[in-house]
Amino acid sequence: MVRYEYYKPSTIPEALDLAVRFGGDALYIAGGTDVMVSMRGRKIAPKALISLRHVEDLARFDLPVLGAGVTHRQIQESDAVRDRFSALHDAVSHLGSPQIRNVATVGGNICNGAPSADTACPLLVLNAEADITGPSGDRRVPLEDFFVGPGKTVLERGEILKALAMGAFGANTASAYIKHTRRNAMDLPIIGVAVRITVDRTDVRCGDVLCGTAPISEILGHFKDEDLRCEDIRIALGVVGPRPMRVPKAEAGLRGRIISEETVASVAEIAASESTPRDSVRGEAWYRREMVKVLVRRAVMKSIDRILRPDERIYPDRLW
Amino acid sequence: MGRELSFELNGEEIKVEVEAHWTLLYLLREKLGLKGTKEGCGYGECGACTVIIDGKAVNSCLFPVMEAEGKQVTTIEGLATKEGGLHPLQQAFVDHGAVQCGFCTPGMIMSAYALCQEKALPTDEEIREGIEGNLCRCTGYALIIEAIRAASPGR
Amino acid sequence: MELSAVGKRISKKDAPSKVTGSAAYIQDVTLPGMLYGKILYSTVAHGRITRIDTSRAERLPGVKAVLTGAQIPPFKFGVYKDNPPLKTGKVCSLRDEVAAVAAIDPEIAQEALDLISVEYEELPALFDPLAAMAEGAPLIHEEHKTNILKMPWKLMTGDVAEARKAAAFTVEDTFRTQWVTHCCLGTSGCIAQLDGANNLTMYSNTQIPYLAQKDFIEALGSFGMKGRRVRVIQSVIGGGFGSKLDTYAYEYIAILLAMRTRKPVKIVFTREEEFLATSPRQCTITRISQGCSKQGKLLFREMEMILDNGAYTSWGATTPSVMMLPISSLYRVANVKYTAKCVYTNNTYSQAMRGYGNPQATFAIESSMEQLAEAAGFDPFEFRQINANQPGEHTPQGFKITTCGLSECMEAVRKGLGWSGKRGEKPGRGFGMACLVHVGGGARVYKSDGCGTMIKIDDYGKIDVFTGSSDIGQGSETIIAQIVAEVLGVPVDDVNVINNDTDVCPWDVGVHASRTTFVAGNSALGAAQRIRTQILEIAGAALDEDPSGLDIRGGTIFAKHNKEKNMSLTKALRNVHYAPGGKVLMAEYFYDPPNENFDREFKGNLSCTYAYGAHGVEVEVDKETGRVRIVNYVAAHDVGKALNPMLLEGQITGGGAMGLGYALSEEMIYKEGRLMNGSYLDYKMLTARDIPPMQAVIVETDELDGPFGAKGIGEPGLVPTAPAIANAIYDAVGVRIKTLPMTPERVLSALKEK
Repeated sequence: MVRYEYYKPSTIPEALDLAVRFGGDALYIAGGTDVMVSMRGRKIAPKALISLRHVEDLARFDLPVLGAGVTHRQIQESDAVRDRFSALHDAVSHLGSPQIRNVATVGGNICNGAPSADTACPLLVLNAEADITGPSGDRRVPLEDFFVGPGKTVLERGEILKALAMGAFGANTASAYIKHTRRNAMDLPIIGVAVRITVDRTDVRCGDVLCGTAPISEILGHFKDEDLRCEDIRIALGVVGPRPMRVPKAEAGLRGRIISEETVASVAEIAASESTPRDSVRGEAWYRREMVKVLVRRAVMKSIDRILRPDERIYPDRLW
Repeated sequence: MGRELSFELNGEEIKVEVEAHWTLLYLLREKLGLKGTKEGCGYGECGACTVIIDGKAVNSCLFPVMEAEGKQVTTIEGLATKEGGLHPLQQAFVDHGAVQCGFCTPGMIMSAYALCQEKALPTDEEIREGIEGNLCRCTGYALIIEAIRAASPGR
Repeated sequence: MELSAVGKRISKKDAPSKVTGSAAYIQDVTLPGMLYGKILYSTVAHGRITRIDTSRAERLPGVKAVLTGAQIPPFKFGVYKDNPPLKTGKVCSLRDEVAAVAAIDPEIAQEALDLISVEYEELPALFDPLAAMAEGAPLIHEEHKTNILKMPWKLMTGDVAEARKAAAFTVEDTFRTQWVTHCCLGTSGCIAQLDGANNLTMYSNTQIPYLAQKDFIEALGSFGMKGRRVRVIQSVIGGGFGSKLDTYAYEYIAILLAMRTRKPVKIVFTREEEFLATSPRQCTITRISQGCSKQGKLLFREMEMILDNGAYTSWGATTPSVMMLPISSLYRVANVKYTAKCVYTNNTYSQAMRGYGNPQATFAIESSMEQLAEAAGFDPFEFRQINANQPGEHTPQGFKITTCGLSECMEAVRKGLGWSGKRGEKPGRGFGMACLVHVGGGARVYKSDGCGTMIKIDDYGKIDVFTGSSDIGQGSETIIAQIVAEVLGVPVDDVNVINNDTDVCPWDVGVHASRTTFVAGNSALGAAQRIRTQILEIAGAALDEDPSGLDIRGGTIFAKHNKEKNMSLTKALRNVHYAPGGKVLMAEYFYDPPNENFDREFKGNLSCTYAYGAHGVEVEVDKETGRVRIVNYVAAHDVGKALNPMLLEGQITGGGAMGLGYALSEEMIYKEGRLMNGSYLDYKMLTARDIPPMQAVIVETDELDGPFGAKGIGEPGLVPTAPAIANAIYDAVGVRIKTLPMTPERVLSALKEK
């Protein structure tokens, strides 16, 4: 067992003081589901843990701002997140287990810096910015610049992630996150795909086809004469590179364009070519690249479905 | 370096001396003699160590003992009635064949207990989600789900 | 006749102690003065140990003993006697035990391990059995001169060469199965305790207490303590599935540490150790060819297997003896040829896991059957019907099939799925089925297949049953109580079963081969009948009735022709006890079933009866991702008689879940001999959200020799799952996956190649 002292500051200044005092010997801990696991796995051995659980400032739940200390459980229970930041809701609903979600925080998930972090891709497409504070002051960093490499973020020693400020989105916008796993619970993603899309209108004639179980290409066939235009889109991929990443070329492939089978398929292809997956115990590179193609299409469709049929909570028995 | 910890355990206020680096699981099993909570993996991956803290299911193997301060903690030993009878969930597990080797059982029951506190009449899907963090190798889960369904308070 | 206890959904007797957390697993047992042992494992897959320095570990306060291979008496265990508990000279795998420590607490023991330094001179390592078989390959065990084990696995019946010529249709293919592991929630562990005279008590979670006792007696002899007593006390077992069917290095290490420290020593595996250092299911590479006549009758089956034996030999190398079962007797086929080679490599080594080779062989056989059916122009169901085994058959291996519910099981599967039995019936979906045969009435693997029972009944009508069999969670204790309660006409709650102490209970060969219901059940039945005879004699004298005219129900003995003529059981017992020349009723019975050992050609009636079954599945394949979704699952099993339908369902659904994992997602991933996914997160056993709707269908054929007509069910539950799913995938999307597990990657690759 690693032996450490345990501190419970109740304000940010207190926490920062402790961090400065202990320097490299201390680690922040929130829900603990990453830190405790790393200690058990003998990867880290801090002499002190500075608990952030009791710092009220970190627990603010003030959409579109999420305090870093908000638990996945709180996010999962929020109807507002489910309706307006759906990709994030998708992510926390499939993260870990109830026991993990009850204590683990969105800030912890982001600060752990894993390419597989489930909340990362949704937050990337939801325009999140990281609110950071530290011994040297405050700063704001767009989330796409927050991740540096596997397990590494831009946080300097002693810095604390205070909050994640998501964007404010208007009408005709929805998002989705697809976590591709081997089993239906307690799993890390083989890859993760998040999409947020804004379209120019919702009065399409063929909206009802989204109720069916037909394949995507067939459904998009119906959209041919609708001239439904994508006004804005963000796409983020997890576990296909050293960091959770946006794919700007793919995004450019659909932004401002008409939604059709061709454009969506092309965007999926571009996204796959922008990704840099590796072989690992959890999945093979070729398969990950294939899944980018498949799941970007599905995530785009799911988001469009959420825009066009916002009151439908129950999705038909289809594959996406 | 002993630290003093006060919390409510199975309905009773207690004060114990702990080392800051212990997990709650370690305190329960090694120091308080409550061996009903099991260690299945030590990594929060199997749920055998599940206890309830302030109404929520938590993996005690990953829970720093110092965070138990001032909390209400319930373990499997705390489920029996005052007369020593079985809680309806425990009885249902017995009656529906939901127990084979039984190692996962205390953690499984605690997750079910937490679920039933929040949802009096959970659907099958909600039951599966409620126990998705509890692994069982013996039963294939079917009879466990049946037992939880039968014992839901709203029934 | 209406049964009162047998056939009822009765709760497990130990369930109350388990739901309250009061059942004591090995993790929960402590003894005064107990020390904690931990093991240091090799860091290279193949190498000579050039230096071990334990001095710093020995000096750590709290450490009471440090042992290396050089400090223990020469001793090797395992079926091939090639495995020393602590290795000297060289290590052959990354799970080799190199040193061990006993300390006053587990943390200090772990710290001590970190202070032991070991240097290795690495040797070229072999991770592929085919490479290990090649000429000039480096030898894993130099004394054997070859990496191929001397194992006698060869079964021949009829004339395969002739049958091949006569066959109208023939198929041939190669199938591969993977290493999977038991994943018991309770990890392995033991406490070794020696008394002043060096008699040993082992607190253990073994499934084979008496065979373990024998192993430990032999070990003590090698350790200089011949003729000592050994007592095995089983704590409540946190899962078995075959993982506790052998004796292991850690147990001998605990004994050696106890000898050195003169204190009880406990070793309990962490989860990482459980993945690393317990032995998985035997992996296989199988070439199979089968042929049939124009009418669809199977003419021959030829199979060749290569088994990666890993670095040392445990039961994995003996799985061919069980693989022969389906190879010779799943469906009617007169001409069979089977050979298997076991090859040393620097990989992990396998031992027993539920099914013991049957799932591996059945995957190949039932996949091949489907290919042959298609080649011959028959539908899957019809082809199997043509070749189904029938009651009363003698198979070419010498099995005497008594009852056989195979056809009923197949029909139940077809109906349960709503399937016509034909190919291509439901666009977008696929149907598949597979059948199984397994032993159901014991298995004469050793010279004895027996189980002993002793019973006593007290003045209050409360019964104690001492059985040699163990309950590993499957509920054998409850089944035995039901049987005894039924025979003696008392409530099940009045029957107490003691089954966990070799000092107290008579011998049983162990919990394996799905034999416990049949053998231990018959043993308990025999002993109970002897008590019943004594009771009815006493009552007959007291009531002036012929004992054969009496019955016992609900604690009352009565005349069958006149229920008014009765007396309470407890009164009868007290009357005969408290009298001059009195009696207290006891009985014993050792039941050794009338089955046969295999002869030198592996022929003989291994079991008294055989359990048949069929599984069927409906799948939906996501053609873009390769993920397979099970829409519906039907498992039909011929169990002879369901002594406890609730426990039976638990075996079927539990086995099914394990089978689904074997088929679709479970795999121990090794890279150059190193386990890469040794955690519950990365080893993909099923969670509650992965379970499909599963129908368990119980087919009763009333086996004459079984207790109340019952046969065994412990293992069949996962035998046909993988081929049923492989066949359904083929039906859905036209690709056949021949390597397990059938991951999304494998399915998608196959679809792309098509």
